[in-house]
Amino acid sequence: MSVFLECKKVKRTGFLPAFFGGGILAAAVPVINMAVRSEMYLNQPGSPIQILLGANWQMMTMLNVLLVVAGTCLLYHTEYADNAMQKMKSLPIRESSIFFSKAVLTVFMSLFVLVIQAGAVAFCSYHWFEIGSGFFGELCKCFGYSFLLMLPCIILSLLISEACKNMWVSLGIGVVCVFTATILPEANFALSLFPFAMPFQIFASADITQQAHYICGAIAELAVCGLAQLIFIKIRRSFE
Amino acid sequence: MSFLTLVGVEFKKIKRSNILMILLVASVILWVPSILNAKINFGMQAEGISPENNFFIQGFMGMAWFMFPASMVVGTVLLSQTERANKGILKMLSLPIGTAKLCIAKFAILLTLAASQIFMMTGVYYISAAISSGTQDYNFILPPLFVLKEISLIFLSAIPMIAFFWMLSVCIQTPIFSIGIGLASIVPSVLIINTKAWFAYPMSYPFFVITAEYGKLATNLDTAQVELIPWIPVAALITILCLGISCLRFGQAERK
Repeated sequence: MSVFLECKKVKRTGFLPAFFGGGILAAAVPVINMAVRSEMYLNQPGSPIQILLGANWQMMTMLNVLLVVAGTCLLYHTEYADNAMQKMKSLPIRESSIFFSKAVLTVFMSLFVLVIQAGAVAFCSYHWFEIGSGFFGELCKCFGYSFLLMLPCIILSLLISEACKNMWVSLGIGVVCVFTATILPEANFALSLFPFAMPFQIFASADITQQAHYICGAIAELAVCGLAQLIFIKIRRSFE
Repeated sequence: MSFLTLVGVEFKKIKRSNILMILLVASVILWVPSILNAKINFGMQAEGISPENNFFIQGFMGMAWFMFPASMVVGTVLLSQTERANKGILKMLSLPIGTAKLCIAKFAILLTLAASQIFMMTGVYYISAAISSGTQDYNFILPPLFVLKEISLIFLSAIPMIAFFWMLSVCIQTPIFSIGIGLASIVPSVLIINTKAWFAYPMSYPFFVITAEYGKLATNLDTAQVELIPWIPVAALITILCLGISCLRFGQAERK
């Protein structure tokens, strides 16, 4: 029930159009790139998905992560801006359930964004390359992996937005985190487990053990962030 | 109320906003990898750039590409949201002050934030250059006059961009759209600096200028240089247009 409540709350905040627009924008990246300079990519070795993601995923992820940061900031901004949070706290629902329903909403919207992008990648492969057998299986695996690695980033940025009552503080921290993720060395496994850096990983360019490591890392981070959220709320309540 | 008093009032409003803290953290994070990877600077013979210049310019390129524009977006959020909460802006608008004046005063604060971030960057640069000089046994510290010239170039070239962000935050009331458009417009600047039409895109100015400087310092590297003739008039036009629109639109949504 409380997920529906969150959906109603975001109705006039521009949250849904922003994710829609952001998804389209990021999906336009490979299409434009291929339309402008397809000759650079057509002769590269590897499957179409590998080539397309290798060329464009950096920028697409950057847009996705920024979208997630801005979206999560907004979700809590609507609560804090006019003290709506106090009213929410007086209702007979847990504070953490608000957090998790916001998380479900953001996760769902991110899935939607990734589906749009998968569509764009499929279109590019169809138009400029040829779709071989097993293409859609590879596409699903690839974007499923990206989706899983995006989850810790969503939960962490939601946690930051919950912790900071002022929107510019949470946005500022989010932006600094995104920036940190872009300058982290990719070769270092421990550093690339930073939640904001994980979505930059590409499924096709990793081997199976590495993929398994990242998936385990993502699940562990999800658990840690979820637990941190529960503890954070308990501690903050005792100081209010 | 004189313009300076107005700017002073605006400063008081953001006193407890912690914005300087965020800007400082951003500058520190930016330089940490440079200190750790200081050795890389010695392997730049192919580009023909000296290690100390490379150390300096790589750090500032990192800033001009994403961190600096994104911090300015955060700054616009700060300026617009501090007053929208609890309807502070209504009280400001009820005072006998021209709205355009108020708008420009806020823009001046934004410019000050930009300048303070650049100064913090420079401060942290000198600290990290000193540390790297110690660890690598090589003098990384550049003369202050040269550094001052570079940072003023970045600041001046950023003014049209900041004016554009300010216009976004004044004209678009829904915060997610102004933030989203602002942040999303930064990302393609990497591509735009390689095209001929870079001067029409204010978000790419600081990065373009610093890349051009990189090309000047590296003798073997040929980067596009700044051509003043289409750039300065276009940049001035964009700045005036953005500021004009924001002055006209400032407070319109509240007055309805």
